[in-house]
Amino acid sequence: MTTEEKIAIIDRYHSNPEQILNILVDIQFQSEAGYIDQQTAQLVAEKLDISETRVYEIVSFYAILKETPQARYVLKICDSSPCHFSGEPVVSQWLQEKLGVGENQMTQDGLFMYHGIPCVGACAQTPFVKIKGEVFPHLTPEKLEKLLADLKAGYYPELVGGESHVEA
Amino acid sequence: MLKRNAPVLTARFEAMRDDPTDVAHYRQLGGYEGLASVIDMGREQALDELDAAALLGRGGAAYPAGRKWRHLYNAAGETKYIVCNGDEGEPGTFKDKALVESDPLAVIEGMTIAGYEFKAQQGYIYIRGEYRHLRAIFNQALENARAAGLLGDHILGMADFNYDIRVISGAGAYVCGESSALLNSIEGKTGRPRVKPPHLADVGLYLKPTLVNNVESYASIPVIMREGGQAFRHLGTPGGGGTKLICLTGHVKNRGLYEVDLGTPLEDILYSEKFGGGSSTGRPLKFIHFGGQSGSIGAADQLHDCLYSYEDLKTRGLAIGSGAIVAMDDSVGIVDYLTSVANFFAHESCGKCTPCRIGTLRILELLEKFQQKAGVPGDLAVFENMVTHVTQLSACGLGQSVGKPMLSGYELFPEEFKQAINWQTVERKEVAW
Repeated sequence: MTTEEKIAIIDRYHSNPEQILNILVDIQFQSEAGYIDQQTAQLVAEKLDISETRVYEIVSFYAILKETPQARYVLKICDSSPCHFSGEPVVSQWLQEKLGVGENQMTQDGLFMYHGIPCVGACAQTPFVKIKGEVFPHLTPEKLEKLLADLKAGYYPELVGGESHVEA
Repeated sequence: MLKRNAPVLTARFEAMRDDPTDVAHYRQLGGYEGLASVIDMGREQALDELDAAALLGRGGAAYPAGRKWRHLYNAAGETKYIVCNGDEGEPGTFKDKALVESDPLAVIEGMTIAGYEFKAQQGYIYIRGEYRHLRAIFNQALENARAAGLLGDHILGMADFNYDIRVISGAGAYVCGESSALLNSIEGKTGRPRVKPPHLADVGLYLKPTLVNNVESYASIPVIMREGGQAFRHLGTPGGGGTKLICLTGHVKNRGLYEVDLGTPLEDILYSEKFGGGSSTGRPLKFIHFGGQSGSIGAADQLHDCLYSYEDLKTRGLAIGSGAIVAMDDSVGIVDYLTSVANFFAHESCGKCTPCRIGTLRILELLEKFQQKAGVPGDLAVFENMVTHVTQLSACGLGQSVGKPMLSGYELFPEEFKQAINWQTVERKEVAW
């Protein structure tokens, strides 16, 4: 993502400090590595006329914002009680076994990582994983196998940056 | 006319599926009649209608909307803000998502009525980060309303009716559902709660008087103004009017979103084919967690004659809360379940006040110890004390709610806790505090 593209997002929100969450979330979603790097934090601070510390205060407080590079596909698993007792462990155990990495660790090829998050409001579709804004519902080990194969084959281009819902 | 046991808030969902942001279609289906009614009846009368409706806040706290609106109406100050809380974060709840996705104009109309009522110029809707994809729909609905002269300058051609709505994205913090934390977050700060009082109706967003209501509450406003407060109240019970969106999850057959009249028998909700359809696992339901993680737990076999109404649940120490209904069968141990709940609170505590920051973690550690059957005599008293202290000493609703699931679950199934204690070990004697 180029600096110009980041500035374009900031400008669309009129460099309004009130819009810092919208700005950071949009930039992160469109960035290749899925996180707010220091260069971006500096840029946002400068454009909104706030300190870089303030930007990092925001980034570190809100769970969706990340300070470190993420895998291309971050599989989010709901670990709240409605999901946890309705099949969620099937997914987390399967992923741990098949990907061979622990929670929040990237696979060596940089393609996958998974972690638990609190409710995403898809409680009636459990067990599921969520990747970016997309929920993949009612999973079984077979469906998971296919989903991972599809992701490796690049069947879901919309999950790799590109999507943009920015207001006027 | 409002009919009983018929959809009210979800009435347009099916008809508007192709384009829920279409203002002309929305108007054909009763849309913006609520706003017209308010302009017609006047601001004072609108407050009376809201009182008559007995609309209790749908975010979870069940604060009477009429009282909240009257407080703001009487608050001093020219500039007032309208805020819609769409930070739906209670696990097991997805009804605000459904409203924003399937009838965004109803939420916008409700917020616009509030804008008119309080002569506000700016409204905000805070949509949680996990629902980021809904921003496009909501922004389109806002754009269409502007184009139709229903937002922006001179709404409906009225010289002094200038009002618009801005969308703010959340970014994954349950505590931002707390109304003062929400306002801090809208101001571009970390979303930690403020010390209250002052009430937000006096000192709110940017220190100005502010109305904060839930998405479902705002969606109810046009119905109340269009049909009258009494008609809305008659859908429910004397203790709370209207219908309620509920989210059935866990071990019921038909998980999902439903709209029920307040006062519907809970048995119907859990077991009738129209709603939950009974257990999905073949095992009997053991307990029901109401209203989100911050709500209380009830034993399924003690709720046969319970009505799903504010007052009936209250007499049983339960509450409607957000509308979440999580049903668990008898394979789920209460200690395991509460450990999951405690994990959530420990994760979501914002860290501002000590009892919640440290206490939620201590509760989680104790429960994990109980899961391992490694409790020692005295631990149960420590658990009770810890939960009580966190509940009584925390600064905001997050910590104050921890006691509800913990103590209700503990009281319902004390035997399961006792089984977690190794009674042969030395008793842990806590220093009194």
